[in-house]
Amino acid sequence: MQYGMIIDLERCVGCHACTIACKAEWEVPVEFNRNWVHRLGPSKVGNELASTYYPGLCNHCAKPPCVEACPADPVEMTFKDTQSGKTATLAVAATWKDPFNGTVQIDKNRCLGCGACAEACPYGARYINPALVDDVSSDGKADKCTYCMPRVEAGLAPACVQTCITNARIFGDLDDPTSEVAKYVVKGAKGLEPKDGAIGPNSRYFGKKKDMTLLFQDHTPELADMGSVKRRAMMAAMVKPAMRKARDLGLLGLAGAMLVKGLTDKKDEST
Amino acid sequence: MAFNLTRRKFLQTASLVAAAVPLSKVAYAQPGVAKVSLEPKGTMGDTTVVGGLCEMCFWRCQLIGKVRDGQLMKLEGNPKSIDNGTSICARGNAGVKLLYDVDRLKYPLKNVGQRGAPIWKRISWQEALDECGSKLKAIVEKHGPQGICVFPHGASAKYPMHYFERTVGTHNVSEASFFQCRGIRDVAYVATTGKAPGEFVDMANTKVIFLIGSHLGENIHVSHIKAYIKGLQNGAKLVVADPRYSAAAAKSDIWVQIKPGTDTAYLLAIMNYLVTNKKYDKKFVAEHTAGFDKFSAAISEWTLDKAAKECDIPAAQIKEVAELLAANAPHVAIHPGRHVSWYGNDFQRERALACLTGILGAYYVKGGWVPPKNPKLGKTSWAQQEHGDEHNLNVSHDKKVHPFNPPGTPTELIRDCAISGKPYPIKGCVIWGQNPMQTIPNQEKMKQVFKAMDFVMCVDVMPTDATMWADILLPESSYLERHDEIKAGTGRIKADDKEPTQFIAPRMPLVAPMFERKDQVYITNEIAKRMGHAKDIPVQTLEELVDKTLATANITLASVKAEGGIHLQPGQSGYGVPEDFMVQLFSEEIAAAGFPGAPTYIAIEEVPAGFARLLYGRAPVHTFNRSQNNVWLNQQMPDNPVWLNDEVAAKIGLKDGDIVGFINSEGVRSRTTTTVKVTPGIRKDAVYMYHGYGSANPLMSTGVGKGVDDTSLITKIAIDPESGCHGMRNNFVKLTKDGKVLDIPA
Repeated sequence: MQYGMIIDLERCVGCHACTIACKAEWEVPVEFNRNWVHRLGPSKVGNELASTYYPGLCNHCAKPPCVEACPADPVEMTFKDTQSGKTATLAVAATWKDPFNGTVQIDKNRCLGCGACAEACPYGARYINPALVDDVSSDGKADKCTYCMPRVEAGLAPACVQTCITNARIFGDLDDPTSEVAKYVVKGAKGLEPKDGAIGPNSRYFGKKKDMTLLFQDHTPELADMGSVKRRAMMAAMVKPAMRKARDLGLLGLAGAMLVKGLTDKKDEST
Repeated sequence: MAFNLTRRKFLQTASLVAAAVPLSKVAYAQPGVAKVSLEPKGTMGDTTVVGGLCEMCFWRCQLIGKVRDGQLMKLEGNPKSIDNGTSICARGNAGVKLLYDVDRLKYPLKNVGQRGAPIWKRISWQEALDECGSKLKAIVEKHGPQGICVFPHGASAKYPMHYFERTVGTHNVSEASFFQCRGIRDVAYVATTGKAPGEFVDMANTKVIFLIGSHLGENIHVSHIKAYIKGLQNGAKLVVADPRYSAAAAKSDIWVQIKPGTDTAYLLAIMNYLVTNKKYDKKFVAEHTAGFDKFSAAISEWTLDKAAKECDIPAAQIKEVAELLAANAPHVAIHPGRHVSWYGNDFQRERALACLTGILGAYYVKGGWVPPKNPKLGKTSWAQQEHGDEHNLNVSHDKKVHPFNPPGTPTELIRDCAISGKPYPIKGCVIWGQNPMQTIPNQEKMKQVFKAMDFVMCVDVMPTDATMWADILLPESSYLERHDEIKAGTGRIKADDKEPTQFIAPRMPLVAPMFERKDQVYITNEIAKRMGHAKDIPVQTLEELVDKTLATANITLASVKAEGGIHLQPGQSGYGVPEDFMVQLFSEEIAAAGFPGAPTYIAIEEVPAGFARLLYGRAPVHTFNRSQNNVWLNQQMPDNPVWLNDEVAAKIGLKDGDIVGFINSEGVRSRTTTTVKVTPGIRKDAVYMYHGYGSANPLMSTGVGKGVDDTSLITKIAIDPESGCHGMRNNFVKLTKDGKVLDIPA
């Protein structure tokens, strides 16, 4: 199974309902969006004028570079196939690709907030939410579209799909040839594969030829500079041992914590 | 240090600052203890409250609220809705941020500074109402009821508007939705067909959608857009006449890049072609139209070539469109438009649209103009009392100045009277939900009106550029916090249902009002008591008003709530031309009033050398100025880039993203700047921007100064002579950059 989303640009009117419904559903901070709508053109495409939209979101890629970039210590996680009930146990970092439904998810409790995954994503689909801090990260936590898995598991459509005023967003299992999304793929729906990349984006677009040309011409991304991603991840990994110590100290309890806080405050003043 | 990991933060981490987090989070380190959730919960588990009726715009989509611990987390389309369904637009979704906008009006305020430069002092409701009541009463006693002018907008303004109009007795009411928006459309169609057209085109089932300037997609009303896209998906051809490659033009089969202001000439040429070539609906014309011969003769000058020259479009394209309409008639949706206050010649254009629909036989047929048969509801409000026309500014020597005016008095007549004091003084001003600074052209004139007043009161949910001019400013409960008006309409439960279903959806509160906000019935009644009208009060509460109205359909608020917020009942098809339905192709009534009896093209002022015509329109994420301070919507489109033709931009050295201001042909400069959007998608003689940006009120902490206020540049006033409504696209601008004025090349 591979969840995917089709965005039918023939239906899309560029109203941004998807973006705002998502903000409400998932309490996305004002300055960030888990999905977005960019208006393209009017520009010349060949001899014609064209104008369309780039409604973007996490592509829950086949080979997600964000997952590879995560420096958090892998832990074993057990995944369950909601259809067959089968389970699989994998060692995953703080972000992973679900072996059953194909979505890419984040464990914010283990996220180091280093931003390597956000930098690795060619689509800019991830952001670091600075409001989410804990003893693992004071820089915030990586966040992004989950394909609304908690809603989907509760039998609901993703928030953006539910609110879409023209049914331009269609969600389903790309691996099921009878699904509407799979039929769109047969009709020619395409993902924004990065230049020189083969990461397999699973949010796909369908539209008039000139509109697709405009979208792909304006928004085919480049792969991230993985060297830079790695350096960022490495730096975060270096900090980790200290972090673990911090956690252990937490076991000292409140008195210890307050003592340390006092010490730290003093240190703050001197730095 | 790089990677966003500053030395300080590194040290903090290394020095175990993490231990300073609350114990609940520290506990996470212990195995077996529940993790602290950093994940938002989602709204699946929240309490669903039914009965919401959106008013982020006037379309009134039906809502449910998701409420958590008394806080509204999210709005969704009511799953029971057969209108918008579970869909709501960006603005609808962002209603949560209007509700909790920190800048919202919270308490009654008194202006202890100047009008226009207010200093606000919080006062009690008692004091505020005493002040409003006594000041307005004094004005009525000294100058008569005509001494009060009213600028209402929205659902909450209806009740107070009726009070001032029907009970107090002033004619001086100017609704922006009529005099600066759709009034011309309504009166032109009423004069032609006897019916206000709404936007009742059966786009979902049509073969051709014909839009004159309607930019569906930038202009979003959920069920309307649903029908539009359904029609396109079913294979309808789309024709869009617009000087700009609008959102609709981008979906069109034929884009008519028409010269601004010449649309009527275009429509006349299409009609003349259809008549001359006998491609009109002869049966419909014989049975349901009047004045065909006079009409045909009057439009006969409009050959394809003549219109091509006037409209600056190819003659062949006019013919192509005419042929397309004829080939698909009567299943063609000739859209009447919505905001049509463009050039001061708009009554005639709207007449032409109504006549084109007529000669194509496209009334009451599948895919044509089909008014829904909506549920009938009685009306509950202030009783109409007789006040005569003695002080009606639109009546002079027993003749109407603008004979085809929409309800109320044409705005310019009110403003001229208020400023000059002739024929009588207007000394009190009630603004209720409208922002006349950004709906009515020529802001200096509006300021003069306010300055001429003895008393200005304003009721709104948010600060606006108009509230700055109030003496007393009252905070109103929003559409999410009160009962209110009822949306009654028609839809289909299942898309393939043969017969339509009717729905009745009264507004019910989703959460309780916060601070000291009050609804319109409370505020109006309290003022009415102080003005001596206690005995005329029709209802004690807003809830009572709604319930009384629902009683006329044999339902109650409680019963509708139990039904999930929407009452459904069997409906009737709108197809089938009523026997007495007539289209006045040549109208003797209009001719007798001294205007052309057949639709007539009246040329507008040409663009002066060095200038471009200022065009404006809707942003999909905003309702004019009303939503500018909404943090979610502002974040989506923080400014209103000015569309500039790419060749023009190259000549004057402007690039995409450059920051520019404006100066108009009357020397008025924009207060703020915006960015340039360079595109081949607009004519060289026009520029375009979204309407409603550039707020001046500093109390709108998110919206203030963002983008440019197009209304500030609309200083030349055009009046549509038949209706008295404004035309607002006869203003010309140059761009300014770094203080330098840039001439627009021809």
